[in-house]
Amino acid sequence: MIHRMLVGAAIVAAGVAAAPLMAEPDVAAAVPNFRALDMHGKVVDLSAYRGRTVVLEWNNPGCPFVKKHYGSGNMQRTQAAATAQGVVWLTINSGAPGLQGHMTGAEAQKFVAAEKAKPTAYLLDPKGLVGKGYGAKTTPHLYIIDGQGRLAYKGGIDDKPTADAADIAGARNHVLAALAEMRAGKPVSVPETRPYGCSVKYAG
Amino acid sequence: MAAVRFGLMALLLWLFAGVALAQAPGEEHVKITLVAESDRPAPGSEVTLALASVPEKGWHAYWLNPGDAGLPARAEWILPKGASTGEIRYPVPERLTIAGLMNYVYEGPFAPLVTLRIPADATGAFPVRVKLNYLVCTDAICVPGKADLSTTLQIGDGSVVSSIRAQFDVWRAALPRPLGAEGIYQVDGKALRLAIPFPAAATAQGEGYFFPATHGAFDYAAPQKVARDGDRVVVETAGVKAVGPIEGLLAFGKQGFWVRAVPGAVPAAKAAPAQMPWSGALFAFLGAVLGGLILNIMPCVFPILSLKALSLAKANAEGGDPRAEALAYTAGVVLVCLALGGSLLALRAGGATLGWAFQLQDPRVILVLLLLVAGIAFNLAGLFELSAPGFVNRATARGTGGAFMTGALAAFVATPCTGPFMGAALGAALVLPWPAALAVFGGLGLGIALPFLLLGFVPAFRRLLPRPGAWMETLRRILSVPMFLTALALAWVLGRQAGVAGMTIGLAAALLATLGLWWAGLRQRRGKARAWLPAVPLLALALAATALVNAAPAGTGAVVPGAEKFSEARLAELTAQGKPVFAYFTADWCLTCKVNEKAVIETDAVARALADHKVTVLVGDWTDGDPALGRFIERHNRAGVPLYLWYKPGEAEPRVLPQILTQAMLVDLASKG
Repeated sequence: MIHRMLVGAAIVAAGVAAAPLMAEPDVAAAVPNFRALDMHGKVVDLSAYRGRTVVLEWNNPGCPFVKKHYGSGNMQRTQAAATAQGVVWLTINSGAPGLQGHMTGAEAQKFVAAEKAKPTAYLLDPKGLVGKGYGAKTTPHLYIIDGQGRLAYKGGIDDKPTADAADIAGARNHVLAALAEMRAGKPVSVPETRPYGCSVKYAG
Repeated sequence: MAAVRFGLMALLLWLFAGVALAQAPGEEHVKITLVAESDRPAPGSEVTLALASVPEKGWHAYWLNPGDAGLPARAEWILPKGASTGEIRYPVPERLTIAGLMNYVYEGPFAPLVTLRIPADATGAFPVRVKLNYLVCTDAICVPGKADLSTTLQIGDGSVVSSIRAQFDVWRAALPRPLGAEGIYQVDGKALRLAIPFPAAATAQGEGYFFPATHGAFDYAAPQKVARDGDRVVVETAGVKAVGPIEGLLAFGKQGFWVRAVPGAVPAAKAAPAQMPWSGALFAFLGAVLGGLILNIMPCVFPILSLKALSLAKANAEGGDPRAEALAYTAGVVLVCLALGGSLLALRAGGATLGWAFQLQDPRVILVLLLLVAGIAFNLAGLFELSAPGFVNRATARGTGGAFMTGALAAFVATPCTGPFMGAALGAALVLPWPAALAVFGGLGLGIALPFLLLGFVPAFRRLLPRPGAWMETLRRILSVPMFLTALALAWVLGRQAGVAGMTIGLAAALLATLGLWWAGLRQRRGKARAWLPAVPLLALALAATALVNAAPAGTGAVVPGAEKFSEARLAELTAQGKPVFAYFTADWCLTCKVNEKAVIETDAVARALADHKVTVLVGDWTDGDPALGRFIERHNRAGVPLYLWYKPGEAEPRVLPQILTQAMLVDLASKG
């Protein structure tokens, strides 16, 4: 187990070394494993969730596109709907210290409490290792990993690439649609979309 | 700050005084102004609108494809009934990489343009309003912006204020021009290769980059290698997958071309020198030395060298310093090679696409070389002597100076001969790190100089040289033959570059110079003092001829006889006289245009048919993106070249011919007048 974790960390580290070319898992391919600290300082290991569907959500509380989905409650509703189905929801912050949206554990706890966010865990990735290992480019940027550890979806939260909360009503929520299809045993009809939002504020 | 903003506002107001103007309200990081080219558009016409945008310092707005993150602007137009707008046309964007993420942005002032169609029944006030949703970012934060811009035009006569027209022409010039030909791209694993038709003869300044407009095929942050390869440009980068037909913008510096490409097989660029290791650089250096050595027997270098060898032999016999001479000669050769190589590297670093022997692409340089080589040839033939008797026995310093100049001359003249032997090696040298590249150029010079170094430093070799004697004069006369041949070749090159007129000027200048040299030679033989006096003005006059030689514009080398340069005034004049006119619009970078010209327009059959039926041919060259031509082309519902127009007497509107011409089509049109 420990050996596998280290391999996962090594894959992610290799992705970083090759910057600016980031690693990016393909849909249906096995995703790289990672370990990261959550906002309470606890280690979260992706491989520990093998057998369950996992959603990754890249977050930057200062980004207007993130504000669109949190301010309207859309992200929280999506998180609640997913976790109610037994899905693991990991919100990840890859903002580097000193850049917009970077948070310490305490700040992240305050953010989650204030927004009434419903992730399974809020992960801190200040070095951008996880983000670059997954090719996360925008906030928000969403990934769904199936129980076999393969990528089922990557892209935006919905199909209305704007910062205007009024557009949420008429949008197709790609994450909820994919989760519903996966639960019904159907292939994900839209497995890849173009993510939209602010760029992830990686270090240098 | 407020004062600055007030100043800017005042400036904008002054710039657009009397024009439709609307100012985005509020605290924004990009100032957007809606400007109409004409505030009195005619009913049923089209008027160009600009969203003149000025981002605040440190902020950037996005191109139509923002890259890895960001958003393009969205516009919602609110227009009177019957009016409509076209697509937003964006100028060539800039690249901005932040922490490994690629952004296609504008960091400075830019102006997307939109065509507004005015309905034919429009009258009076014509309000135009646009709601813009856009994103502006710094490298740290993003702010979505909204602008509600409006202006009221008055339906009128379509008049355009000339200062506004000039401003719009500047904005138009920044737009990409449609290339008109389709490219092909191939995604092989993670490697993407895109081939774009682009004529080899077209000039392209600045670094090449392809901005993908269609999302999904390109890995934006991956570095791109853009190479000219014959009649195509090949872009090699990392890709994701083929996504059907794509569009994008091929940029060379500020110059942009709009390209469509479909998936297919793309062979790799031939001239694709991979990153060469230092061992490769050493190999290139040795190759260059060897190449330089071989150059010694080339017709353009050999006579100069032979002369030098003779003077060394003489120095040997007369107790001169052969070592100093050999070193001076080597210094001359190596320095000129380094200077040529260095300036080539500098120019390439500055973005110009040049090859080795680039200095020979300028007809003026060719003319000077022609004069020089002709002079040397006549000197070898014995028309005149270069050194007055008193000269020879002067101090050695004179000898080394002369040796240095001989070396410099040999290296300069040798460059055209290097092509077949050294082209590939020198091309490879250009992608090396600059010290290694310079070493290769230096190696070439060293190779040229090597025989002399040996002669100068190894007395045994010098002793192998035959004793000076009367045979030297005979050899000199014989050596004038290859020199004359070199002059002939240069005259031919001059003719290719500057046309028959240029070649004639060049030959006349050579004649003039020769007369001067002959005169000087006659005076020398009579032992007159200041033998060179009468030759000087003639030589100066010959050199002054360089001012008259201009490169023949590319593409006009073989146009239809009697074709005239296109201008709207000339067109109006001809159509008013009831003459048939064939107007065609071309550009050096347009492959379809060049194919049509070579295969159809410039053929004898078509040229004869046009001449027989007295059809005037007008040629518009859009290579440099002349905005006046651009407006004319746009009025015929084309965004670019090729455009072929046939004006038949008695018909108000021209016929727009298809983009692929046939000889039969043109002959048929000509015969029907």
